[in-house]
Amino acid sequence: MTAILVKAITDLKRRRIQATVIFVTTLLAVGTGTMALTLLSQAHDPYQTAFEAQQGAHLQVAFDSGTDPRAIAGTAQLLGATASGGPYSATSLEFEAGSRKFSMDTFGRADPGGPVEQLRITSGRWPSSNDEIALTRSFSELNNIPIGQKLKVVSVAQEPVLTVVAQVVDIDEGSADLSSQHAWMLSSAIPAVTAKNSAFYLMTYRFATDPSSAQLQADVDRLRSALPRGSVTGSINYILIRNVFNITNQIVTSVLVAFSVFALAATAAIVANLVTGIVLAGYREIGIMKAVGFTPLQVVAVFELQILIPAAAACLVGIPAGTLASQPLLANSSHALGLAYTPTFSVGLDLVTLAGALLVVALAALVPAFRAGLLKPVVVIANASAPRGQSGRGLRRFAARLRLPRPVVIGVGDAFARPARAVLTLVAILLGVATITVALGLPRSFTAINNSETNAGNVDVVVHKSPALSDADALAIINAQPGTARVVAETGENFTVPGIGDPVNARIFRGDSSHLGYMVVAGRWFSGPGEVLAPKALLQDAHLKIGDHFNASVRGSAVPLVVVGEIYDINNLGHSLFMDWATLSAVEPDVTPDGYLITLSPGASVNAYVQHVSAAQLDLLDVQPNNTSIVAPVKIIDTVLLILAIVIALIGVGGIFNTLLLNTRERVRDTATLKAVGMSPRQVVAMVAAAAGLIALVGGIVAVPVGVGLHRYLLDLISVSAGNDTPPAAYAVFGPLELVAIPVIGVLVAVAAALIPGRWAARTNVVEALHAE
Amino acid sequence: MSELVRLTDVTKVYQGGITGALNGVSLSVEQGEFTAVMGPSGSGKSTLLNLIAGLDRPTSGSVLVRAMDLGRLGESGLARFRRDHVGFVFQFFHLLPNLTALENVLIPAQLKGRERADARGRKLLETLGIPEVADRYPAKLSGGQQQRVAIARALINNPTLLLADEPTGALDTHSGDQVMDLLARLHRDGQTILLVTHDAKLATRHASRVVSVMDGKIVDDALLDTTERPAADVVRVRGEESSR
Repeated sequence: MTAILVKAITDLKRRRIQATVIFVTTLLAVGTGTMALTLLSQAHDPYQTAFEAQQGAHLQVAFDSGTDPRAIAGTAQLLGATASGGPYSATSLEFEAGSRKFSMDTFGRADPGGPVEQLRITSGRWPSSNDEIALTRSFSELNNIPIGQKLKVVSVAQEPVLTVVAQVVDIDEGSADLSSQHAWMLSSAIPAVTAKNSAFYLMTYRFATDPSSAQLQADVDRLRSALPRGSVTGSINYILIRNVFNITNQIVTSVLVAFSVFALAATAAIVANLVTGIVLAGYREIGIMKAVGFTPLQVVAVFELQILIPAAAACLVGIPAGTLASQPLLANSSHALGLAYTPTFSVGLDLVTLAGALLVVALAALVPAFRAGLLKPVVVIANASAPRGQSGRGLRRFAARLRLPRPVVIGVGDAFARPARAVLTLVAILLGVATITVALGLPRSFTAINNSETNAGNVDVVVHKSPALSDADALAIINAQPGTARVVAETGENFTVPGIGDPVNARIFRGDSSHLGYMVVAGRWFSGPGEVLAPKALLQDAHLKIGDHFNASVRGSAVPLVVVGEIYDINNLGHSLFMDWATLSAVEPDVTPDGYLITLSPGASVNAYVQHVSAAQLDLLDVQPNNTSIVAPVKIIDTVLLILAIVIALIGVGGIFNTLLLNTRERVRDTATLKAVGMSPRQVVAMVAAAAGLIALVGGIVAVPVGVGLHRYLLDLISVSAGNDTPPAAYAVFGPLELVAIPVIGVLVAVAAALIPGRWAARTNVVEALHAE
Repeated sequence: MSELVRLTDVTKVYQGGITGALNGVSLSVEQGEFTAVMGPSGSGKSTLLNLIAGLDRPTSGSVLVRAMDLGRLGESGLARFRRDHVGFVFQFFHLLPNLTALENVLIPAQLKGRERADARGRKLLETLGIPEVADRYPAKLSGGQQQRVAIARALINNPTLLLADEPTGALDTHSGDQVMDLLARLHRDGQTILLVTHDAKLATRHASRVVSVMDGKIVDDALLDTTERPAADVVRVRGEESSR
């Protein structure tokens, strides 16, 4: 055993660069893998923990203000709920904080406790008078509204001023960057801030066990049957909220898991390559080892140890590093839920990662190590060196026909001289380039989707109107502005759709809405009353397809609808409807817009426009430039992708560097001969770089379609998890020139990676190399 | 005849070496000479050849070939010098195994930018008596054939100086004789040749001048086929060296 260790450690010291390559690539792969596993093991826990700790509501239902509160209170028993909250009197409150205006559903509640939906106060205290309000911490942090800030209510004529006294965490709503938010006041304060037609009740239910989606849908249907028509105006369940909360973690974790497998595969390819190279280079030495008494298994052990020692060292650094790197994401989850963040790690998980990584590396090294163990000592000592590789004549002839310089021709011929080595290198390059393609494409697709969701490029200014201001007055102000080119009025309404438990939020447009830039996946934009578009999830859950007619209802009135298109919309994870104003006004003639989406004339200043409209109606209009910024979760995904792309690209570069190192060392005598017959150092570098360039070119050409395919696959995966089909425009984010440029850049990087081994080769001491026979 | 090579007080000490591989050697070689450098293993004869070929640099002293001071040339300059002025024949041939015989022959020409040297390459193989091996890989050739391919490679750029380091050392007697006959023929055609060998008989049979090296110093320099020093005399000197 001592002899094996001594030999392995001595060889390691001699092959420091190879040991470094193994260390670095294993470190990157293990770091990524640990991060993924840590997130994977934790991703579902924080929400569940908080949901249990705060007695989260399985179901929240909004009731029309005309419904008898006693009847609402009785629904808990009707549904068999083990606990319930409410009915809470509620209103849609509009307030001004500084120069900004917000709209928020506000509930009357005596205290933050209770058997359901306990609110966790993270800062301040619960409101104790009618001029105090509690906000979610998520909303406060996003909009920078501290405790003590004064809010002017603009949705009622009296315009009372409220003071923010508490920041709370509510487990029954998503974060502010993804979902609308709730606020709380004392029940006695609600009437004074309730505008006409904005009152409603909210009831929360908790069941003995976590109900399924179908059970929740049945519960809502039972409520509808038991109460007068139109009583149930909205509902939301814990499954949707949990999904919205988890979606970022799920996407990040999926991406991390997928790419850590990539990283490990690339590392395995490099290790296999490396050991094969060491075996080929050490033929005579292996013969001598066996001649002095090493058994085949001991030879295998020497090679395995040479790989496992740096790999184990990499694990010792990579596992803690990966655990540390995952902490910000975990802390983010804990923070969003109001849970106290404690650094999370699992010794068991770390041991599994360590064992897994070492197993993969050991397996990768096993075949070439066994090959070494089985070599016959007499033969290898007599032959002194390993059998030569392929001649590469075909490639050389092809390169010669292109009239490339001779060093380049020779290098091209050498590229695939060892086919197995070249293939393993190609694997590392392929994974690197494919990841970069994905990392390039996904953020653009996200941007395209974000632009669609935010109407970027099509809407310049968004105006929210207080119910206190009439549609006609608002339009008069807007149309009076010289910069106004197009105005689309918008409102929202909850529709009951057969087969869908929760009421579906519909976006209803007046004006030329077809130019708002929404992504239509299939079919067309609506062109008249009754025509609607819906995302995939709604169509699927309601068993609808384009062309299908169905009867929905709004506030108790039936509305015949026909599906004319499938739209991309992530709101409520794909449960929404898009329709024309005439569709709603047929049953609700008094409907008025909530806001206006305004497109300015070319050259008009957005800021000047906002100032002019705000000045025209300071209190009742909230005028803002259209906010098209990408939400934080998408930024997190983009960042993680970028880091992964860099990691895997580095592993790819390590792969090609390793191969060139092996090639140049194996061919040191050939290089010396070439130098002896007149090859200049520059020509030697060109020769080595040409071999690298060709492998990278082939790898790149294969990798680009793989990367594009992977981009489509991941995009589909993300779209599906958000309840949508991917729109064609989100796929088409690569320009033809870019697709050509990616492998070209890969070639340039490979050529750059070739410079070090190339320079080593160029510095070959001819006399020493040729006399070392 | 004009002077082609001049070594002045050349010393070469290898890293870690206590004594030099060459100690203050001065030597001049005329154009058209067939000079044999003779000496036992470790005497410094290969080092001498490597310095003249520009494969190695002297620790001190100067090496001039065609009045070019090799010590003043950088790595690229030395590579150009080897390519343009020197043909080198190694003991172990050093053909590139992945290239055919003809491709091996053509390499120096192609490195020089002469891409259309095929005809000359084939002509050389024909002159050397091995036209049929042009498209074969080195592994499929006999030792004698490989060395002839190596000689053709050395000649492809019409070198001023042909250097041969134990060119028959890895060959059987018959193949060795053929290679030496070939070098003699090239010399008759005007090629300057510097041959390193430890075989005194080989040296005296073909060379017109024999330089004996021992312990890094030139101990004898004899012009043969003249009244000055008969061949047998040189062999005797060699015999004395061997017996020490």
